[in-house]
Amino acid sequence: MNEIALTSADRFDIREYLRLEMFPHFLCPGCGHGLALRALLWAVHELGIDKDRLAVVSGIGCAGRLSAYVDANTFHVTHGRPLAFATGLKLARPDLTVIVITGDGDGLAIGGNHLIHACRRNLDLTCLLLNNEVYGMTGGQVSPTTSAERYTTTTPAGNREPTFDACKLAEGAGASFVGREATLQVPTLKNLLREAIAHKGFSFVEVISDCTEIFGRKNALGNSPEMVLRQKAGMRPDSWGNRVDRPFRPNPFPTGVFVRKELPEYRELYDAMTAAARRD
Amino acid sequence: MRIQEPNRAGSGSSPTETVVSVLMVGVGGQGILMVSKVLATLCQAAGLEVKQSEVHGMAKRGGAVFSHVRFGAKVHSPLIPEGEADVLLALEWAEGLRWLHYLRPEKGVFISDVRRIVPPFACRDRGRGVAPRYARSTPAEIIGRLGTGYALDATGIARDLGNERAANTVLLGVLSTALDFPEEAWLEVITRLVPPKTVDVNRAAFLAGRAWVENAVLPEPAPEPAPPAADPLLGRIVNRLEITREWCKGCDICVKFCPERCLALDAEQIVVPTDPEACTGCRLCEWLCPDFAIRLHKELPAEAAPAGADVGADAVGAAR
Repeated sequence: MNEIALTSADRFDIREYLRLEMFPHFLCPGCGHGLALRALLWAVHELGIDKDRLAVVSGIGCAGRLSAYVDANTFHVTHGRPLAFATGLKLARPDLTVIVITGDGDGLAIGGNHLIHACRRNLDLTCLLLNNEVYGMTGGQVSPTTSAERYTTTTPAGNREPTFDACKLAEGAGASFVGREATLQVPTLKNLLREAIAHKGFSFVEVISDCTEIFGRKNALGNSPEMVLRQKAGMRPDSWGNRVDRPFRPNPFPTGVFVRKELPEYRELYDAMTAAARRD
Repeated sequence: MRIQEPNRAGSGSSPTETVVSVLMVGVGGQGILMVSKVLATLCQAAGLEVKQSEVHGMAKRGGAVFSHVRFGAKVHSPLIPEGEADVLLALEWAEGLRWLHYLRPEKGVFISDVRRIVPPFACRDRGRGVAPRYARSTPAEIIGRLGTGYALDATGIARDLGNERAANTVLLGVLSTALDFPEEAWLEVITRLVPPKTVDVNRAAFLAGRAWVENAVLPEPAPEPAPPAADPLLGRIVNRLEITREWCKGCDICVKFCPERCLALDAEQIVVPTDPEACTGCRLCEWLCPDFAIRLHKELPAEAAPAGADVGADAVGAAR
């Protein structure tokens, strides 16, 4: 016996999925978005999706730049509109696996409108919302998910606005798959994304990411390793819940799959409708 | 395996005359406290004085849990002195070995699951290619040294009954043959104490444990235990870190997360392996590198490797 038993981690070399001439990427040292991209491409690798049949659409922002590094069909579109583009793309080319990468500002503020309607429509897309609590690329302005009291360039005395819970928003808007994971847990995040991509219908995954250079520095959250470790402090799988008989603090940060349900997929409804119209 | 006919615990005298000490050990989460509660409740129902003392709370870490149960007409101390346990009930093999010195020499009854649950820390000092040093004694070696010893695959028996977690009740069934209480009394207490959904499987597990003792055959004169077939590749796989220096931004995540502390930043703030031999191939650095600058290759040394055995290197070449 002279062969090493290969695992998925052995077989997956992320460089097969990257545009190597674009590297090193533009992200700051320690930026959590790279970890999210690794988990996404690993999930794609495990699902055996052909790069030619994969489309990655992203908007503007640090998260928006990720599509440029993926060696697949990629679209870098206007601010807040990746879900709108992806909807048209998926309707025109249902054979493609369409993945949307968006950020907290891109997806919840400028593109919040598109997000709720994409959730409602239930077209077979996967939306990755990389939440780093800040507009990093444009200089560190406050975003809808910035935690209370945090300092940003537009909240010099600390943020006073209530914070958006993106997963609850997606759930309320009717998404058929909703989950959340932090970049610290790369293999777990990979498994979650694999489920989300395989799910038939709109899947929404919020990824808790770190902005080390701007948000972390402004709020004295420590260096990159400390910020990654910090994710773990307030995090527990949702199955643990907030049950009173569990002798722990309330869970500020549930992770895992929150919603998984079978709903009519929009493309199928659309096809049935056009077929019926042709018969008439 | 069973070495000799069972002698009743407590030196053959009735448990009402002397104090009988039962020590139950295992790792967190196996149900040690449940079985000790069953025994204590049973003894109480029989009109005996019972004292029970335990250490628990290690379930999360796979750590040790033990419970002392002492019963008789009058029990003064809840703790069993070393060398005075009449029965040692071990839900995990290595824990059983660890507490073996508590067993009464010659007369004590040793009952253990042969299943080993290796805690994470036992892997800490493993070297590449070195056989694990965790609890190497085979059941035959141990049982041969004892007066009465039972080593059985209780977990396997419980799994066959439909729930692996009933292994503790299987062992309770074995224990029941060493103590003077009627079968019905045992079953009545078990039915009362286990979660309602698991009553059936626990009753079946208890009876299976009793039946195992009845049917256990005396072992043939010790057949030499065959050494476990070692993975021929064990110890020959080399973990090689490929670092793309141009991509590394020196964020320090891999250095701080490496469990073996074998990475460092050099003068240019770029990661370098300081002790390649120490790398165990856990891949934390590869997974947590936001810049994709680290790739771990598991390789065979040149003389052992057939062409193309290098994992991933070919693919990288193609991608470049």
